[in-house]
Amino acid sequence: MTILPGASGARAPRPRAAAPHRASRLTSAIVVAVLIAALLLFFVVPVIWLLLAPTKTAGQLEHDFPLSFGSFRQFGAAWSHLTSFQGGVIWLWLRNSAVYSGGALVLTLATSVPAGYALALTRFRGRKLLLSVTLVVMIMPSAALVLPIFLELNEFHLIGTAWSIILPFSFYPFGVYLVYIYFATSLPRDLLSAARIDGADEWQVFRRIALPLARPVIGLVAFFSFVGNWNNFFLPYLVLPSSQQFPIQVGLNQLLSSTPSFNPVAGAGLDITSPELALAVIIAIVPVLVLFLFSQRALVAGMLAGSTKE
Amino acid sequence: MTVLHSQHDTVPGPVQAPVPARRPQRRRADLAGYLFVAGYTVLLIAFGVVPTGYALYLAFTNADGQFSGINQFSKVATDFRFGPAFANIAVYLGMWLFLVIVLTVVVAVVLRSRVGRGVSSVLRFLFYLPGALAGVASVLVWLFMLDPSVSPAGALLRAFGLDNFDQVLAPGNLPVILVLIAFWTGAGGWIVVMYGALNNIPDDVLEAARIDGAGPWQVAWHIQIPMIRKWIVYMAILAFATGTQLFVEPQLLETASLGRISPTWSPNELAYVFAFQYGNFNAAAAISIILLVVGLLCAGLLVTRSGLFKVDEDR
Amino acid sequence: MTARPRRRAFAFGSALAAVAALVLSGCASADVTATDTAGASSFHEATQDDSSTITVWTDSTRLPEVQEYQKENPNVKMNIVTYDGDANGSTYLQTKVQLFDRTGSGWPDVVFASPTDTTWAGKPTTPGAQAFAAPVNDLVPAGTLDNFATGSLSPCQIDGQTYCLRNDIAQVVLWYNKKLMDEWGYQAPTTWEQYQALGEEVAKQHPGYVIGAIGDTNSQESYFWSSQCPAQELQSNGSLKVDLSSPDCTRMSNLLDPLIADKSVSTQGFFTQGFNGSKVLMAVGPSWYGQYLFDSAFKTPAGQIAAAAPLKWTGQSQTYTGNVGGGIWMISSHSKNLKASTALATWLTTSTQNLQDAPTYPAYVPGAKAWLANPTNKDYFADDVTNVFLNAANEVWTGWSNTSFSDATPWSNAVLPALTAGESMTQAMPGWQTAIVNEAKASGYTVVTR
Repeated sequence: MTILPGASGARAPRPRAAAPHRASRLTSAIVVAVLIAALLLFFVVPVIWLLLAPTKTAGQLEHDFPLSFGSFRQFGAAWSHLTSFQGGVIWLWLRNSAVYSGGALVLTLATSVPAGYALALTRFRGRKLLLSVTLVVMIMPSAALVLPIFLELNEFHLIGTAWSIILPFSFYPFGVYLVYIYFATSLPRDLLSAARIDGADEWQVFRRIALPLARPVIGLVAFFSFVGNWNNFFLPYLVLPSSQQFPIQVGLNQLLSSTPSFNPVAGAGLDITSPELALAVIIAIVPVLVLFLFSQRALVAGMLAGSTKE
Repeated sequence: MTVLHSQHDTVPGPVQAPVPARRPQRRRADLAGYLFVAGYTVLLIAFGVVPTGYALYLAFTNADGQFSGINQFSKVATDFRFGPAFANIAVYLGMWLFLVIVLTVVVAVVLRSRVGRGVSSVLRFLFYLPGALAGVASVLVWLFMLDPSVSPAGALLRAFGLDNFDQVLAPGNLPVILVLIAFWTGAGGWIVVMYGALNNIPDDVLEAARIDGAGPWQVAWHIQIPMIRKWIVYMAILAFATGTQLFVEPQLLETASLGRISPTWSPNELAYVFAFQYGNFNAAAAISIILLVVGLLCAGLLVTRSGLFKVDEDR
Repeated sequence: MTARPRRRAFAFGSALAAVAALVLSGCASADVTATDTAGASSFHEATQDDSSTITVWTDSTRLPEVQEYQKENPNVKMNIVTYDGDANGSTYLQTKVQLFDRTGSGWPDVVFASPTDTTWAGKPTTPGAQAFAAPVNDLVPAGTLDNFATGSLSPCQIDGQTYCLRNDIAQVVLWYNKKLMDEWGYQAPTTWEQYQALGEEVAKQHPGYVIGAIGDTNSQESYFWSSQCPAQELQSNGSLKVDLSSPDCTRMSNLLDPLIADKSVSTQGFFTQGFNGSKVLMAVGPSWYGQYLFDSAFKTPAGQIAAAAPLKWTGQSQTYTGNVGGGIWMISSHSKNLKASTALATWLTTSTQNLQDAPTYPAYVPGAKAWLANPTNKDYFADDVTNVFLNAANEVWTGWSNTSFSDATPWSNAVLPALTAGESMTQAMPGWQTAIVNEAKASGYTVVTR
């Protein structure tokens, strides 16, 4: 039988009068509905605007109703302007992003998940030290870290290679902490003790028991790592010598500086205006959204149904 | 028999089972632990410890490499932009922390317990959507969202007496705007994390509480939230740290407004200016160390008070 | 409370005291004394190899020009890289060069940049490094340099050396809508006083129309630079004079105040989103306003907009005007192929073939003449802008010095919010003065205010 944790106050049953209950239920339902509606508008309306933006011309963006639909023809024009910018470099940028984020993802999972597991469920000297150092490093502002990282990468002759991006991207303390907290709070110790007593070594315990149960958090870490790296701007901006190697975010920045609205003298003949920028942004986030949809199931954490019944 | 230890259990006392002498096993467990963290530790040292150490070194030396004591710190502290930047960030933090901690937890609870599965899933996706838009994307979107003449929220802005973009960007409005943008891009991710955390609370626990007669808000306040305390603390630490390190949002507003906002609105922006405009990495490191210390103080406080580092020691 | 915490506190306290003593006992200062940069007249050439690849950094707008050169010179090995061109206050080039200086390699050979970049590129970035920009007076014949518009190279000149070739200039002229002016019977003003009078007239007769805008982040370059206001004037001893109380400044703020009050000069910027371009009767602005503001942004139909000579103050014999923008090309002092680098940079900035189709007004006078002779550059206007542009190009006041900080920053931070909040230009001047002084001091300048 499950024993309720020692949370204060909820142990004694509290019968409530029926009438106030119904009224408070109604108000609470209304509050919830209003909250959700307000948040929905706040989060979603700008995105809708963005999705509709490539169908309009820059002038229409300014003068027409903000959430109106323009025309497919305009969308086509925006598409052709964008894809002809510097000879279709946008596809190259997307490919670069995929390589950097994908490569880093593999390394991140390979290093962060075991580390989080070990920090939560094994005891070794230096465990707390590692946690503290990780926390400190996470809080360190990045302005000061970029120069040393650049010098390090240069020391190992990695500048100009994809590794100069993939390796720093693979360092993902946020993910380690997510895994650590997950294992520390959601995995029952007895399961592991039982396995250990049965003679399994740590690796088997990890692979056979912890890993399958950790699918939700692995999905979470994979997703956040990929998206975080996909959106990372500053490191690639600084470290990569050639615009052919840029990931999409840095490329978008270059598009921005070629847009007359942001750089009036730019763009003689480049035809990059706000609708093209909006389209570029949409193209840039489509992979992220697709990934989100696919990892929904993983992100909807499965319950530890089986493990808690004894 | 399953016993879920809660973070509330801080009463020291005899552990459940006697602890046998287990030195040889301990060494083996130690070794396993080390192997597991090996890969991560290499990366941590390479991209975390060494750069942080180098930054510390930079903060206490000058461009020639001579030890300069606290002179870098006094140099940046007396810069005319230092005070305003920290004042800005303090105001920003007050609003940001409240919004992100309270609202994301509330929304996560609502999504977990008060709406149906399908709706919850869709809402989580929609709330997360803006988080996928970083950098340039946000510049473009907010340039239009903040301009009363073209924004879908134009009427709302005008109701506040803001008739054009320049008025919207008045210095007094900036903290609010920046909090809104940061919340717009950041909340979705945290809602997903909190939701996941809430989802790990076994249904039996919630059922039992409901059978006991607790209403949904009571369940939330007395059971769900305490059980995700570690996650909330983690979020608070990071929200504080990322709040003090605010950089992208003021920078993008500066680009969107063609330079109307100060390029050193936040301390982190000031650090960047020192590093990349004056080429003074030492001063930039000094500012970064100050931000780090502030973030660490908060983190330390939260960690010790919540037992974030404590894991169950029942072996 | 046991003895242990007390002992710990004591230990901590004494450690702190020791550290403090150590720290305060004579440490080196935060800044290093600047190394002597006067000797930068002859740089150390890297080992030259006339056939090595040159790396060219350009922005998207100039990319076609560089590609054209490559097509015409297929035997020159070029690695063309695009970047943001240091536009909008980006410090990308400066950052990268500093990183390259630390690692000792990676510099591009030819770069497109903005004039503020010369202020750091002409000096070593770290003690012991070599200044990034090569002095072009050592690489390009003096005769060529003499043919650049008067004053167009002075932003790049440090200690008698010239560190760039000017790509284009943006001399400020008086733009007006000839169609409307003719309709309403107005004459294009020739003096600032007439401009003010016209503004007050327009406010009464045709409210809603503007004769200028000062809400852009570079509006001060159109108005105050033209007025020869010493907002950032480098003195011969290297200090920076910032004196906004000077009559040359106050005459402009006094002129603007009534115009702002009656709204004939807008406190918004021309480039602010949603600015109503059809209500612009006149504009004081650079040569590129014609194509990029009236044509591209406002979509004013062709044949309406004309340009007149920059305004001068009554009784002034010499007309001075301002400058809003313009790019430069720099050649790296670390280049291993100075011959090819110089050839490219020279072609880009002086060849008629390139300049006649340039997107903006060339700084090189013969090239500018070719640009002006090209119908596509003038077809849009109501009448011939040739003489106006040519003369104005030589009238840019050289007292508004090129500084390592952007002059847009103090203006945008101090003046624009004040104007938006309803203050007058005169009321905003002290704030602007403080902002420039602060910015200058933080950038390392010694500031004088007289």
